[in-house]
Amino acid sequence: MNEPDPRPWRRAALAPLALVAVLGVASFVRPGDSGGALLLANPDRSRVTELRVVLAALPDQPLVLVGLDPDLGTYAEIRTTVRAAFDDLRRRDARLAIVSFTPEGRAVAAAELDRLARTGFAQEALLDLGFIAGAEAGMVRAVTALVPVAAEGSLAGAVREAGGGMGAFDIVLVVGGGDLGPRTWVEQVGTRLPGLPIVAIAPTFAQPELAPYLRTGQLAALLATLRDGAAYASSVAAAAGPPNVPNESPERVPSALAMLIGMLLALVVLGRTLLASAWGGAGSAGPTETDGRHATRSPRAAAERAPSDEPVADGESAANGEPTGDGEPVEGPE
Amino acid sequence: MSGFWGSDLAGVAATWVAALVTVLVWSYLIGERRVFQLAQHLLAGLATGYLVLLAVREVLLPRLAEPLVRDPAGNLLLLPALVLVGALAGARWLPRPVVALPVAFLVAGTAAFALGGAVVGTLLPQLAASVIQPGGAETVANGLVGLGVTSLVLIGFLHGVPRSRIVGGAAGAGRWLLLGGIGGWLGFLLVSRLALVVDRIGFLLGDWLGLAR
Repeated sequence: MNEPDPRPWRRAALAPLALVAVLGVASFVRPGDSGGALLLANPDRSRVTELRVVLAALPDQPLVLVGLDPDLGTYAEIRTTVRAAFDDLRRRDARLAIVSFTPEGRAVAAAELDRLARTGFAQEALLDLGFIAGAEAGMVRAVTALVPVAAEGSLAGAVREAGGGMGAFDIVLVVGGGDLGPRTWVEQVGTRLPGLPIVAIAPTFAQPELAPYLRTGQLAALLATLRDGAAYASSVAAAAGPPNVPNESPERVPSALAMLIGMLLALVVLGRTLLASAWGGAGSAGPTETDGRHATRSPRAAAERAPSDEPVADGESAANGEPTGDGEPVEGPE
Repeated sequence: MSGFWGSDLAGVAATWVAALVTVLVWSYLIGERRVFQLAQHLLAGLATGYLVLLAVREVLLPRLAEPLVRDPAGNLLLLPALVLVGALAGARWLPRPVVALPVAFLVAGTAAFALGGAVVGTLLPQLAASVIQPGGAETVANGLVGLGVTSLVLIGFLHGVPRSRIVGGAAGAGRWLLLGGIGGWLGFLLVSRLALVVDRIGFLLGDWLGLAR
């Protein structure tokens, strides 16, 4: 009979800690150092080309409305792409007006506005439209009245002269991930201003939801995978050459090797967990609500773990989902 | 590099706070729950404070109070809005029918905009795009595949109705297709989350420890 592990959390924590350690080591390896076979950037540049074609068709000094509403948790995935888009627009002498419809988006917008100012973006080409409450209703109102009363400057004046609403802009760049993302923009703004092109940058998980809008033309361009984002960032960097903006810190995409190793490790951990579940093992689960005591997944394991003075009566208790001797509910047989 | 903070003292302090909180959260990996809960409480408290600040500074003052003070006659519609906000704020002490009014406005307005937008902006255009039109063989094949998959998945949701052997088989195929779709989406999620882990490790090693600048 096996002795119970007095500190099961140590074994449970081994796999995630190994994942973190290996990813940490792999993070040192830059994508460019990995060789041609291990590049994060998508070799299929069609999405990047679509976006660059739309941007190239803009007039001189275009007015660009940026709807910055990412999710705080997933913004790190698209941050490189968003900053590459800002750099791209800056080099096209675009004038940016940034608005947010979610509190999280406003937090990111404030940080990005601060960063743009620090890295030398011309202040007269930057307009902070702030946070607009009201979700969809607020967005619909912003279609005709976007500029706050207190907003000043040449850019605010230019938008007011052109009507003060979203129709004054040449293009909308939506940074999604939160509740009010590209889909909401297409539904609320695209239907009211069909002539206004909308391009979007979104985290990978949103790609299946947003791809149909690209096909119907409701989105003029979409970067919604890490690989497309990396390809776009590299194309912008290649077009611009070495950074010539003072205080500009080089933007890095995640290491391709780190991603690959992480995926392989995650698959190993997942496979181990699935195998353990299939064979009735209970040693692979992570820390649980019972502080290291693992939830029993099968009647057989429940019977093995039940104390001898309170046996599981031929699976009856287990089948009914009643607590066994050690007080843990178990699932019935399928 | 996250690039959010400069190299001045405030930036250094912000980097240290962010790094320490990251370590606090990751302490869950070794089963340390108390420190992790401390980080959770910190997040909840900061988020609440931030929301209050945002509501006061960016909504109530500039879009409600200031226009009313500056030009009351020109902003008459804001008066009922002020009453509704007051009713919501005093919901605890007011009769239910009074509180129900602003809540009804809120829910009905949100639902109307969301539903209208979904129908006009998503449902109709996507239905139109799904219609199989005569064209190249590839276009027709894509349309037929889309039609077949959609039909099978919809049949997979048929529950509680008598099913023949063919319909049962189609429902099974639809469920497998659904599982395949969910699996693909989970794959997207895996890549997405891995990118976040790699970025956070890069933050710790680069921004905080200065090892990978």
